[in-house]
Amino acid sequence: MTDHTVAAFSKELETLGKRIAEMGGLAEKMLSEAMDALANLNADQAREVIAADPRLDALQRDTEEHAVLTIARRQPMAVDLREIVAAIRVSGDLERVGDLAKNIAKRTLIIAKEQRPQMPRAIIGLKHMNEIAAMMLKDVLDAYGQHDVALARSVWQRDGQLDALEDSVFRDLLTFMMEDARNITLCTHLLFCSKNIERIGDHATNIAETVVYLVSGESLPLDRPKGGSSLTSETEPKA
Amino acid sequence: MTTQSEQSAVAAPFPGAGQPQKVTVKDLKFFYGDNLALKTINLPLYTNKVTAFIGPSGCGKSTLLRVLNRMYDLYPKQRAEGEVLLDGENILDPDMDLNLLRARIGMVFQKPTPFPMSIYDNIAFGIKLYEKLSKSEMDGRVEAALKGAALWGEVKDKLNASGLSLSGGQQQRLCIARSVAIQPEVILFDEPCSALDPISTAKIEELIDELKEKYTIAIVTHSMQQAARVSDYTAFMYLGSLIEYDVTNKIFTSPANRQTQDYITGRFG
Repeated sequence: MTDHTVAAFSKELETLGKRIAEMGGLAEKMLSEAMDALANLNADQAREVIAADPRLDALQRDTEEHAVLTIARRQPMAVDLREIVAAIRVSGDLERVGDLAKNIAKRTLIIAKEQRPQMPRAIIGLKHMNEIAAMMLKDVLDAYGQHDVALARSVWQRDGQLDALEDSVFRDLLTFMMEDARNITLCTHLLFCSKNIERIGDHATNIAETVVYLVSGESLPLDRPKGGSSLTSETEPKA
Repeated sequence: MTTQSEQSAVAAPFPGAGQPQKVTVKDLKFFYGDNLALKTINLPLYTNKVTAFIGPSGCGKSTLLRVLNRMYDLYPKQRAEGEVLLDGENILDPDMDLNLLRARIGMVFQKPTPFPMSIYDNIAFGIKLYEKLSKSEMDGRVEAALKGAALWGEVKDKLNASGLSLSGGQQQRLCIARSVAIQPEVILFDEPCSALDPISTAKIEELIDELKEKYTIAIVTHSMQQAARVSDYTAFMYLGSLIEYDVTNKIFTSPANRQTQDYITGRFG
């Protein structure tokens, strides 16, 4: 795209883009390490994830301040305005992704403190969920960086898979808890982890919507493609 | 015959079509001597809406405004082709009564142009050209006009003071009052705030918002933010052509045309 007549304006937008890229890289890394730490019950790695979160928070605040200043200074229009609004939204989503990854890491620390627990089969489903969420996050960050609407739409479509998997993990964990009440603490933590990963998918989907808005100025439909849900009547407690 | 480059990029149906059109510009071309300054312009001015014209200097937006009340008639070698319909009647018709036309289509200029006479007479002067009113009727009209231009409160105790004694922002509102006084149907604003400070600008913008209840308004402005704030529809012009015409919110958040986008985001040229 042609540069602005005022070069400093282009530079300000570039800086915003760079901050988001850095946030994206950090969030991806936190997610992948949090999952590794959980699967291997690696407390040190979990602590590293927790330690990385303040950086992400600071970046988000910085991005937001920078965006607000740019709005005040330049009164942006059209694609510039959308670019800045997108940066504010995406930085918020990425900050939440970091929080969710940190939460997985915190739970990992608690689980790891217990005696070597036997990991239920559901951990495989969790890993699979994580792979999908991580891929969604990677693709949506690429879509953001390259202004690729088709890629963003594909991420948006994939969220249903994650919901369906969460449903199956939920049922696995429920079975494991019913088998032995001593599994309940561990399984409850894992249940939260699966919810966290599902939420990360939601944030990736949000970012996908933002990318479509950023590039085209249009919004995706309010209804997202739905997969299964652990809140269906099948699994609801009977009255 | 028109070549491709003379054709306007924007064609009917226009966004907002179906609303009553106070003014309809049809295949309008305008010449300064041999120089084609407007290249086949088509667009509507919807009734009781504000239409903003934006574009770089020399794009033809002020020229278009000057055609709308045949201001160009004052100059030799300037001519318009095509039609400008005011309530269906072509104002470019040579038989058009220009005094009557300018009573129906008022204009406010970039620099305030108060007459060197009292505030009261600045308003009354125009009315006297068209109507014979008693003193009390005239007082009422002057007051209504000054109120309509949000100036009454500031000048009601000094109506006999010279119009030139007012501040720039007040002078501009006096000119608006003068336009309003003859009860026009359309008001054309040619960069009305470019010589004003931010507070006066805000007052004029607030006023435009109120005036559209009664009048159809066209405004030429160099401030994109102003166009975004005050108008319902925006026309982007470039090199004598209408490049894009759309609902203002659309133009300033996601314009369809690349040139429009480059212009409003400050990437031009």
